[in-house]
Amino acid sequence: MKTLLTSCFIGAGVLLAASSGASAQDCKISVGSVLSITGSMAAIGSAIGDAGKLAVDHFNAAGGVAGCQVNYILRDDQGSPNVGVDAAKTLVEIEKVPILLGAIQSGVSLPILTSVTVPAKVTQISCCSSAPSFTALAEEGGTGGYWFRTLPTDRPQAGVLATIAAERGYKKVAIIHVNSDYGVSLAARFRDDVQKLGAEVTDMVAYNQEQASYRAEVNAALQGEPDALFLVAFPADGATVAREWISFGGSRNLILSNALRADEFVESVGAQYLTEAYGIDNAQVEGESVEAFNASWKETKGSDPNGPGLHTMYDAAAVALLAMEQAGKPDGTAIRDNVRKVTGGEGEPVYPGVEGFKKAKALIAEGKPIRYVGATGPITFDANGDVTGPYLIYGVKDGELATLDRWDKARVGAALEKLQ
Amino acid sequence: MLQAIADGILSGSIIALGAIGLTLTMGILRFANFAHAELVTWGAYMALGVLALTGAFMGPLEPFSFGVPLIMATLVAMVLTAALALAIDWLVYRPLRGRANHLTLVFGSFGVSLLVRMIILLIFGGGAQYYSNTLQIAIPVAPGLRILPDQVFTLGLTAVIVVALHLFLQKTRLGLAMRALAENPELARVNGIDTKVVVRWTWIIGASLAAISGVLYGLTVQLRPEIGFHLLLPLFAAAILGGVGNVFGAVIGGLIVGLAESLSVLVIPAGYKLAVPFMILLLVLYIRPTGIFAGTVGGAK
Repeated sequence: MKTLLTSCFIGAGVLLAASSGASAQDCKISVGSVLSITGSMAAIGSAIGDAGKLAVDHFNAAGGVAGCQVNYILRDDQGSPNVGVDAAKTLVEIEKVPILLGAIQSGVSLPILTSVTVPAKVTQISCCSSAPSFTALAEEGGTGGYWFRTLPTDRPQAGVLATIAAERGYKKVAIIHVNSDYGVSLAARFRDDVQKLGAEVTDMVAYNQEQASYRAEVNAALQGEPDALFLVAFPADGATVAREWISFGGSRNLILSNALRADEFVESVGAQYLTEAYGIDNAQVEGESVEAFNASWKETKGSDPNGPGLHTMYDAAAVALLAMEQAGKPDGTAIRDNVRKVTGGEGEPVYPGVEGFKKAKALIAEGKPIRYVGATGPITFDANGDVTGPYLIYGVKDGELATLDRWDKARVGAALEKLQ
Repeated sequence: MLQAIADGILSGSIIALGAIGLTLTMGILRFANFAHAELVTWGAYMALGVLALTGAFMGPLEPFSFGVPLIMATLVAMVLTAALALAIDWLVYRPLRGRANHLTLVFGSFGVSLLVRMIILLIFGGGAQYYSNTLQIAIPVAPGLRILPDQVFTLGLTAVIVVALHLFLQKTRLGLAMRALAENPELARVNGIDTKVVVRWTWIIGASLAAISGVLYGLTVQLRPEIGFHLLLPLFAAAILGGVGNVFGAVIGGLIVGLAESLSVLVIPAGYKLAVPFMILLLVLYIRPTGIFAGTVGGAK
């Protein structure tokens, strides 16, 4: 009951703000969103939709964007590419949205991007699609720069791991990786990165999951007498590989993928053999701007924002609206060109929430540069529209998993820059 | 190359031990027992269970990774595996023998194998386990060749068992009876051989060898409920390659399968390794359906 009352008050507050603004501005700008409200992602889709709505509400309460109120239109893709493309077409052709937020699944986002938003010159920002194929498409110029995503990809992991390998002085590295999209792309990235840093990759061996022995794979990887091994695996199979690797005289300089940060792995291999090992994993984002989002979510929803895609969706919407404010008009290409002006850089930091957006609007009106620090912390889009996140470096100390080091976004960005 | 040969001989000797039991039961009981591979799993896990109950009351016998406790546990596991085999025979196969046709028995053995695997899964869980969590470090014996002491032990034990079994079949009365039954069941019965006793001993020997094979597998690779499932095809390939009922044939068959699997990786991607026993089986069935050694070398026959 209390939550209901609170949300009524907030709703009323938003309405009041909206109506007071509407006296000066009668125009409306529509922002489209295609998410899975039903279908296989239904469990998380509707909350993600709410996170986008929250950003729009905050903006309207702060006085709208480009002199107009924002109209948030959410369409369901039912988890299907066909339905998603139809929904996006409707939004772009009939509602004339300059921005499309979504979709959740890469398999839906990709056809929308190639067949709807890029031809129509509409900026598309996804909260949740992490497939490496978008990066590849952007590199080939297939996205026209209209594609952004606020969720970090696997891409930076390889770069950071390769940088550390070079720092530790590894000269010959073998790679054993799981034979999946994840394993193959991470291994290939690492190979390219570590070669740029002057090390040699002796062998790249794929393995199939759920087998009792990987002696053949281990033997193949041992042939080049490497002084380190990059292991991309999941805990159970990873332990089998690591045991056989160490047992057959492989180097204990192990480089581990994020999925191996599991007690099960350390226990099965034996902590005493993993003292030289290091690996990478996503670090929990912290900071004032994250707190600002969490607090306002709790205020509206009555619960903590625990769920995938909430923070990234809020940031997707916020970045899109700030870029439109900076551009001064609801035009897809102008928004695309202004996304990087309101993120990264040296401008005045602005946080999520009504106050933050008011401050941003005032600064933009004065012609001063801003830098949006969002629900996921500072955001910097690279040339392909990808963001980086903070990472932690883990290892084994005193028989247990431990955090050896932390890499914030700036450090990750600097390391990746060297690899470009 | 050297390493691949060494690994092939090792996995071949483990397959051989399991295949001996399979070839004996196939030759004497005259049906393809698909549950035999599960006896390997059962033996391996029984040893693990005994080890867990008794605990490591003595350190390992250097340079091996195991000590007296595992040897004791293996002996208990052999008894428990033989008991399981006899129980299965008494409950499932005996009522079917003579009354139903061969296919019914084969399907029955499928059911039994699923049941045994699920029981193991239920008791021990699905994760990989090891007899000892300390890793053994391989010793370089030649350039590009590293061998674990446990592997040397495995090879030696297999050789001893094969010779002992050969002597048993050639020199003892029971061995003679087993060979006779394999050769011609009707004639053996007419000559006053108690087939029930022979069948019982066939199960006991086959199951004990399966248990040893399982323990050695667990020792040199790892314990998983799917051991039997993964070994099923190599075992059958080895037994058929060597000629059903032929002990030495099964050993040679096991070594060929092990070597072929191991060496194939030099030519084809490791992911296709599992298909190699299948190819061997197909080739043998196509070219020489009675097995390579059928009628040439005297084993059980």
